[in-house]
Amino acid sequence: MSHTFVMQVHCTWTCPLRFKLFFFSKHLGHNIRGCRRESCNLYPSLVATMSTVSTENAAVTTQNEATQKTHHPVQVAKRLEKFKTTIFTQMSSLAIKHGAINLGQGFPNFDGPEFVKEAAIQAIKDGKNQYARGVGVPELNNAISERFKKDTGLLVDPDKEVTVTSGCTEAIAATILGLINPGDEVILFAPFYDSYEATLSMAGANVKCITLRPPDFAVPINELKHTISKNTRAILINTPHNPTGKMFTREELSVIASLCIENDVLVFTDEVYDKLAFEIDHISMASLPGMYERTVTMNSLGKTFSLTGWKIGWAIAPPHLTWGVRQAHSFLTFATSTPMQWATSVALRAPDSYFVELKRDYLEKKAILVDGLKAVGFKVFPSSGTYFVVVDHTPFGLENDVVFCEYLIKEVGVVAIPTSVFYLNPEDGKNLVRFTFCKDEGTLKAAVERMKEKLVRK
Amino acid sequence: MEEKLSSVAKTFTPSPIQELSHLAQRCNAINLAEGFPDFPAPPHIKNAAVSAINSDFNQYRHVQEICDHLAKIVKNMHGLDVNPLTDLAICCGQTEAFAAAVFAIIDQGDEVVLFDPSYETYEGCIAMAGGVPVFVALDPPHWTLDPNKLMKSITGRTKAIVLNSPQNPTGKVFTKDELEIIAGICCTRDCLAITDEVYEHITFDNEKHISLASFPGMQERTIITSSLSKTFSVTGWRVGWAIAPAFIASAIRNIHVKITDSAPAPFQEAALTALRSPPEYFESLRRDYEAKRDYIVKLLAGVGFKIQFKPQGSFFLFAEIPENCPLSDLEYVKEMIQQAGVVAVPGRGFFHTNLSLKRSSEVDHSYQKRYIRFAFCKSNATLAAAALKLLHAKGLKLHSIDKRDA
Repeated sequence: MSHTFVMQVHCTWTCPLRFKLFFFSKHLGHNIRGCRRESCNLYPSLVATMSTVSTENAAVTTQNEATQKTHHPVQVAKRLEKFKTTIFTQMSSLAIKHGAINLGQGFPNFDGPEFVKEAAIQAIKDGKNQYARGVGVPELNNAISERFKKDTGLLVDPDKEVTVTSGCTEAIAATILGLINPGDEVILFAPFYDSYEATLSMAGANVKCITLRPPDFAVPINELKHTISKNTRAILINTPHNPTGKMFTREELSVIASLCIENDVLVFTDEVYDKLAFEIDHISMASLPGMYERTVTMNSLGKTFSLTGWKIGWAIAPPHLTWGVRQAHSFLTFATSTPMQWATSVALRAPDSYFVELKRDYLEKKAILVDGLKAVGFKVFPSSGTYFVVVDHTPFGLENDVVFCEYLIKEVGVVAIPTSVFYLNPEDGKNLVRFTFCKDEGTLKAAVERMKEKLVRK
Repeated sequence: MEEKLSSVAKTFTPSPIQELSHLAQRCNAINLAEGFPDFPAPPHIKNAAVSAINSDFNQYRHVQEICDHLAKIVKNMHGLDVNPLTDLAICCGQTEAFAAAVFAIIDQGDEVVLFDPSYETYEGCIAMAGGVPVFVALDPPHWTLDPNKLMKSITGRTKAIVLNSPQNPTGKVFTKDELEIIAGICCTRDCLAITDEVYEHITFDNEKHISLASFPGMQERTIITSSLSKTFSVTGWRVGWAIAPAFIASAIRNIHVKITDSAPAPFQEAALTALRSPPEYFESLRRDYEAKRDYIVKLLAGVGFKIQFKPQGSFFLFAEIPENCPLSDLEYVKEMIQQAGVVAVPGRGFFHTNLSLKRSSEVDHSYQKRYIRFAFCKSNATLAAAALKLLHAKGLKLHSIDKRDA
């Protein structure tokens, strides 16, 4: 029986506080601070965490019997001191210690469908256990392009325009590392999934952030018009959006599209929650006129099929952009898990009824959570898609999101995620926390009960 | 739109290995090129993966017990004390472990020393992180390390040395003396080391794989990378790891999390079964591969290849084109595909030149076009079939092509 440190899972969906990217600018052991300042000056808006916090101890020692022990004190950039990565580690152990119900983790506590699991098992038994073609098992590339045609009406070449990666996370990393040069300007919408910022740092990008604000997290068009220019290289769009559940409307996408065409800007879209679109239809930017040639559309198996640990994702883009994505991909992971790719090709050909049922199930779960959160006294913002919902916790009188989440674990026994870590400026998130409803109904009801019982409005 | 590519992406070209693979496929050639087995993975490990999927180990996971097992193994094999809680990162294959390691320690302009010939991916990875690869040629025919060459390649900008042993493509296992030299240089010049030890359990003739990290002063400056792939014949599962001092391992984990987030969950679970395999498993792995090595050495020598260096590890043989044959490696492999229906990899892709150095007229680089890499990680049936085809082609004058002009 293996120990699963569920809360320590380094899934950035669930523990965004914990692992931010950091640089070692010079040789380890000295000059780190000096060079950190250097990189801070170049990219002041980027996180340059130098956290060396281990999961256990604050002080880190290297062991070598033949030489003296060297001590490396932990370091963290000032802007993160308030949110020390240890906070989430503390929260994790707090959660376990208090037996808290976990509505923070962004992955299901139920399993994926049998027919997909069976397909993977069959692939393993059939000996499909060696390196797949680097850009993907042809069967899967075909299934992805068929699915894309069904969803968007766009016809793409599976061998030239589809690249399979280890999850959408790797698609994002490969896209950014393959297409972004140091100094390139990239626009991000906050709050954002934190791998975007981290990989943009790795690519040396110059990040410009536009904040989406409650209650509807609408795109501030004027601000966008002032931010985007001929100097902008790319814009990153996550729709349906984690953590807010916002879905970019056709109007918003059209405005962004025309600005991109006017200024010759690339678009990278993360559409992993596209099948969890509840209030409006999901729209792929690539399907708007003039946009396919400048868009990289990314997606994955995990959320749609409740198999987040299989790590199958993909990027769809015209050949001239796919080239860059593939170069980076070949040096990041080279190839993606073979049996899972075969299983994914089966999954993507699931009948319509699968997707209908998926939505129906999640809508039921959403109702339990949202009704419950409202009854408890949170200000609940409308979430059109994903399995997340963002709420304002201030009715309960706690000073910020992190403090609230700690309180929620200790005194109430429920876990939520503080959203401040999804912003460049943590202040922007201090009133907001994120709950997920990708849990079985019993778990959701129990969590709601605890909150009704123990969360007191001030 | 092409200008949208990053400058790094623009310098990369398609893999010659893959292109010849396509030709080979069209000709239905026996594939002794690509480095993965055509025999099944061990049943006990496949069963473990199936069981994991059925037991719902399908969401994001970090299986800490893998680290516990690896710490034990590394202690047994190399005498290294590693803290399983802090000194390890589980990644999507050794490829990702290496990429994350490079991003963890390499900044723009940092130099990284590599031994030539070398696996093609290291260079690309280093370039992606803004580093500068510096190649130190191993001397044919035995691929020996010249300490002076190594010393000369170290500058004030050298950040790390990459060591792949047992080595792809030569099958060389670096000797204790060579490792001592490398370790000495790392310590005195204060460099880091990244090792690729994926073939660690495939060594022959009682050669033992020694990890560079086990030398004095090295554990604190070495990142070991390895994986399940070659040891357990599951190259398609993508479970690998990095072992390093805690603060480097932490950096690698952080970066890995941003690149892929986690390795495939059911295969992490199956890794536990794999890593718990009894000593007999590793013994028979070694024995089987040694038999295949002997077979292929005999076969290739029999059809005229010059094999001055028998592989001591890995499942690759780097054979020299017969002296009387004027063809280059590329031409030879093409002929071999078309006439003999067998494919291998032209060696030139593994050799590199340092762009910064002027081509020295004294140094003869022509040998770099005379080697062909054969993979023998194939079933005995495949190797036998390849033997038949090559011997038959020999009869058809594959090896007397030079007589065309006569």
